Amino acid sequence: MSAGVRSNEVHSTTYNALETARQIGLYILLIIASLIVLFPIFFSLSLAVQGNTVAPSLLPNFSKLDWSSFPQAFAQEPNLGRWIINSFVVSIAVTVGQLVTSSLAAYALATLDFPGKNIFFLIFLATLMIPWEATVIPNYLTIARDLHWKDSYQGLIVPFLASGFGIFLLRQYFMTIPRDLYEAAIIDGCGRTRYLWSILLPLSRPALGTLAVYAFLNTYNQYYWPLLITDSSEWRTTQVGITAFRSTEAAVFNLQMAGTLIVMVPTLLLLIIGQRQLVRGLTAGALKG
Amino acid sequence: MSAVDQPESKSAQPFDTVKSVNTDEVVTVSPPGQAAPLTESYSNASYIRRRRWQNFGWALLYMAPALFLFAAFVFWPFFQSIYLSFFITDQAGQTVRFNDVQYYSRILNLDGSGRTEYLQSIWVTVLFSLMVVPLGIVTSVALAMLATAKVKIIGVFRTIFTSSVAISVASASVIWALIYNPSIKATTWLVDALHLKTQGLLLDASTALPAVAFMTIWTALGFNFIITLSGIQAIPQDLYESSKIDGANGWNSFRYITLPLLTPTLLFLFIISTISCFQAFTQFNVLIANEGPNGSTNVMVFQLFTAFFKDTRYGFASAIAVVLFMVVLVLTLVQYRLLDRKVHYQ
Repeated sequence: MSAGVRSNEVHSTTYNALETARQIGLYILLIIASLIVLFPIFFSLSLAVQGNTVAPSLLPNFSKLDWSSFPQAFAQEPNLGRWIINSFVVSIAVTVGQLVTSSLAAYALATLDFPGKNIFFLIFLATLMIPWEATVIPNYLTIARDLHWKDSYQGLIVPFLASGFGIFLLRQYFMTIPRDLYEAAIIDGCGRTRYLWSILLPLSRPALGTLAVYAFLNTYNQYYWPLLITDSSEWRTTQVGITAFRSTEAAVFNLQMAGTLIVMVPTLLLLIIGQRQLVRGLTAGALKG
Repeated sequence: MSAVDQPESKSAQPFDTVKSVNTDEVVTVSPPGQAAPLTESYSNASYIRRRRWQNFGWALLYMAPALFLFAAFVFWPFFQSIYLSFFITDQAGQTVRFNDVQYYSRILNLDGSGRTEYLQSIWVTVLFSLMVVPLGIVTSVALAMLATAKVKIIGVFRTIFTSSVAISVASASVIWALIYNPSIKATTWLVDALHLKTQGLLLDASTALPAVAFMTIWTALGFNFIITLSGIQAIPQDLYESSKIDGANGWNSFRYITLPLLTPTLLFLFIISTISCFQAFTQFNVLIANEGPNGSTNVMVFQLFTAFFKDTRYGFASAIAVVLFMVVLVLTLVQYRLLDRKVHYQ
């Protein structure tokens, strides 16, 4: 019996040693993968702190890091702050707009029983099938030529206030909420709009959060439309601004990288704070492509 | 993926529709004017009908903002694009002369003009997808497998692997432009190893497209990783446990459990990635900003942009847009079909 216990002990120590080795191996692999994935970010940070040099190296001299490029980027491009404000105004407006229009439409589709519902369902579904290239030229003509909305917030915001993805995301969530709740509320004399506002929406916070994070991220990172619809520097959003900044500071690598890192901060923070919502939104919204 | 991936499947039908159909059937079989036996609380069929039409009014009101916006910025411009593609337009985008299908036959080189640059650009786009999609998927599977490791701070690593979703393609392009910049020695080793005649990877016709493709794989990595990881996490754990008891090693359980069960996710990713490759614009506009060395990076969307924004040839640009739409539509339909199958058979 004692022999048996002993061999068990031996077994478990070798097992533990193997397990520890396996763990260390996994950590090494994970760290290598992380370094590769993060390489572009390290690269930009490294260039940003090397001062204004025409031949920066891959790694900075850690004894004399030069962080002045960050305030300098704001001095060199007075509109940098304005671009960030623009991006925030546009992204917040679009996010709020999509939350409102999507929850209203999703409520009708998910909860109300009305004739012709399937037709409306198909109309909303069709919006997911039409890629932006197929609409961008007439939209540009409408906004820029007919409405004269170039260089304005409304030109950047209004075309994106409704989202097919948002409608389907919220509809799916609304449908998980028991219909008895609706029936009971209506019998108790609760109006349809009040039911949406005071019962359905508070219960749907996770889905609303998902849509909010997703919409904000997508809008903040837009490039094509703001490029078309903004001419003057002060109306640019961060993404268009930063590519323009790159051309004006073509040889000043540290400023380019500092500026790029600055405009990346909001979305990186969003990733860290709202990762769960973001992941949910992306796995659901993947459909839109 | 579960939230909106099955909009057309039967299970996703709102059950109040089903209920109302039932009610109608009951009404038709019951004697007129008499209460239907199955509807107790609202005994009157006409009441139900009235309520449905009342609902219709409210529903229309609730859907009105979205419907109006979609009409103005999706449906009308979509049909307008098709319309414009049959016309020669002036600088202001007004139609000047009916042009029949000439733009289409030019794009597909059916007019015998010998101008193959448009077909070439379709080919470049396909080539770009072929470079990005398979490698992107393989990388994300590898990363996702790694991210299932049972170590303590795996959450941190997952955030790191996800990070590129938070970085816009525009910002990423500015960074990668410097990575590929010859005066920064990050990629000179590769230029030397390939014995390129030019200074940088983006300047050579043979490497410009692969360089943009590589950068695109990086920008898409975070998204692909999220999708793949959620696919892997959806695989029931007991399958692995029982295969372990049967003596399967890590590779075997990956090969015979993970991979087959992940196929729907990977097919989905394949289609989505291909669609986004066909729509890729930002990286080409920032990294290359023209049609590339020997037209080697002149993808369809960039050609559309050139015709539309630089040359203001709205009619011709619309024709390119319609061709692109057809490609994306086919891919989207394939994707719906695949997802549908997955919903039914899994």
